[in-house]
Amino acid sequence: MGSPLLAVPAFRSGPEVKKTIWDELPWRIPPYLKSGDTIGITCPAGYMTRAEIEPAVRIMKEWGFNLRIGKTVGLRDFTFGGTDEQRLSDLQQMLDDPSVQAIMCARGGYGCVRIIDQLDFRKFAEKPKWIVGFSDITVLHAQLNHGLHIASIHSKMCNSFPENPGDAEKGQWDSIVSIQQALTGKPIEYPIVYDPGNRVGSGRGILAGGNLKTIETLAGSASDLQTDGMILFLEDAGEYLYSIDRMFYNLKRTGKLKNLNGLLIGGFRVKPDDPGDDFGKSVYNIVHDQVAAYKYPVCFNFPVGHQKINYALKCGVQYDLSISEDKVIFRET
Amino acid sequence: MAQILPPYLKNGDTIGIVCPAGYMAAEKIVPCVNTLKSWGFRVKIGKTVGGISSNYFSGTDTERLEDLQEMLDDEEVAAILFGRGGYGLSRIIDRISFKKFRKSPKWILGYSDISLLHAHIYANYEIATAHTPMAGAFQDAAPGDPFTQSVRDLLIGKKMSYSCEPHSFNRKGTAEGVLMGGNLTLVAHAVGSSSDFKTKGLILFIEDFGEYLYNIDRMLYQLDRAGKFNKPTALVIGSFTDLKDTERPFGKDAYEIIRDILAPYDFPVCYGFPVGHVKENYALKCGVDCILKVGKERVALEEA
Repeated sequence: MGSPLLAVPAFRSGPEVKKTIWDELPWRIPPYLKSGDTIGITCPAGYMTRAEIEPAVRIMKEWGFNLRIGKTVGLRDFTFGGTDEQRLSDLQQMLDDPSVQAIMCARGGYGCVRIIDQLDFRKFAEKPKWIVGFSDITVLHAQLNHGLHIASIHSKMCNSFPENPGDAEKGQWDSIVSIQQALTGKPIEYPIVYDPGNRVGSGRGILAGGNLKTIETLAGSASDLQTDGMILFLEDAGEYLYSIDRMFYNLKRTGKLKNLNGLLIGGFRVKPDDPGDDFGKSVYNIVHDQVAAYKYPVCFNFPVGHQKINYALKCGVQYDLSISEDKVIFRET
Repeated sequence: MAQILPPYLKNGDTIGIVCPAGYMAAEKIVPCVNTLKSWGFRVKIGKTVGGISSNYFSGTDTERLEDLQEMLDDEEVAAILFGRGGYGLSRIIDRISFKKFRKSPKWILGYSDISLLHAHIYANYEIATAHTPMAGAFQDAAPGDPFTQSVRDLLIGKKMSYSCEPHSFNRKGTAEGVLMGGNLTLVAHAVGSSSDFKTKGLILFIEDFGEYLYNIDRMLYQLDRAGKFNKPTALVIGSFTDLKDTERPFGKDAYEIIRDILAPYDFPVCYGFPVGHVKENYALKCGVDCILKVGKERVALEEA
């Protein structure tokens, strides 16, 4: 569409941050959507049927958008939404098609890493558009973070749109509405429940993050998440505490925790320890141990994750985080 | 690459046993201690074996670190055998001092979580270590069991010479290289950290246990994307056991996943090598030159 790309200068405030080639690249924000713009739906990871995306299609139409249903919707190759070739080709088409202004991934699961290196982002980089999703879609956010410096939306996907909005819990519905707000450039109010585990302080930085396990397994690759000078957010579900601890050690040992300007800990639905294998530390303990050496603010219970309350966040956009003794303020600058 | 070989053990030398990761009850190491003594070694038992810990770990980070550090620095200890793996080395590895160990290297024996230590030592110090069954494995070993026996052979300096049955997925060929590898989860976990090792010129071996199939696939993609499959001379695939699947089946078993990811490469590969979280787990020297022959009738791994 015609709206000019907003060029945002790279923001760096971390202490003695090592410069990489990517630091020289400005971050870009794709054009926000207007009524009548088109959202493409594709399955780059797990499979989803046409019927299962119907509530999402209906609601996004009510928001005034056109929908383009990708070829992978309804395809299935075991756990995947089609073969690697089918998923790649569908997403590639959506990336390249100038009449699609945003791409919503139907659901997560697993599969993005199998196609990420075959994706051609050249047209996308010339004319960025919003990529929307979370969980396995963290791979796409990380790819944009590492190499392209283009903002994207971390949010619920088609599989979370309620059949009947009237029946949805308020937090769940507000999370869905926040996708619309993110896509159209409206400010989002994050209902952050104060957590006594928080660490007070304030910081400003470009937002990066997503699913912890996915971020760990991108280390050493062309999608390795860059976090220097940034505000990092993390969530995960279904992992053992020992495994979460190991993942945090991976972040630490790959240098992702030391130059942050803030840390947001979202939902961590923990898999219970096996009998006799009591890990003896909570997610609080695990995080506190890791951040003890640093000074940046840390917010627990942030409304993001594999849960009903999962608000849209814009990766690659600059936010201010301010945590005081009794409240947390988190907003775009 | 010239690797430093720690001195092999002589009759009367002392082997230290520690638990740097998960908890282990003291009685579980008794069969191992008896066997090591019957082989003519003395045994020194660390404080982390059967400690007072009531949680997952064999002790606090500091206790586990100190116990391992003491064994590393103790001139009377000629080799360190780990009680068991589990999880825990990641938490202490950056605090271990290898100063004395570098001056007088000793054999470090273990696998699973201990893979991180092998990787770290190989990546930083080029000192050979040993990927072997641990103390726990001696509990069920029948007399003359070749796998626990291979630990003894390794300790006394016998050259490795192992063979196994061919597998239909094998890619035939002969390769020379430095043998190195370990638990896939830990090798992947080390990527990008100071324990990450280069795989060029290696005969790389991997094994894993208890992971989801999709996660095996994801970790292999990580290794591939991190360039780990670009230049090894061969790949040795050990056992992948007790794997889990999601509600929506993944549709491939571990060996099929590996075969598909290795399709673009042409180095020899053997599947079903006796290494992993199973009884069939040969002692392998990490960081030592080897020759792998993947033939039609037989697979052989020989120390050069």
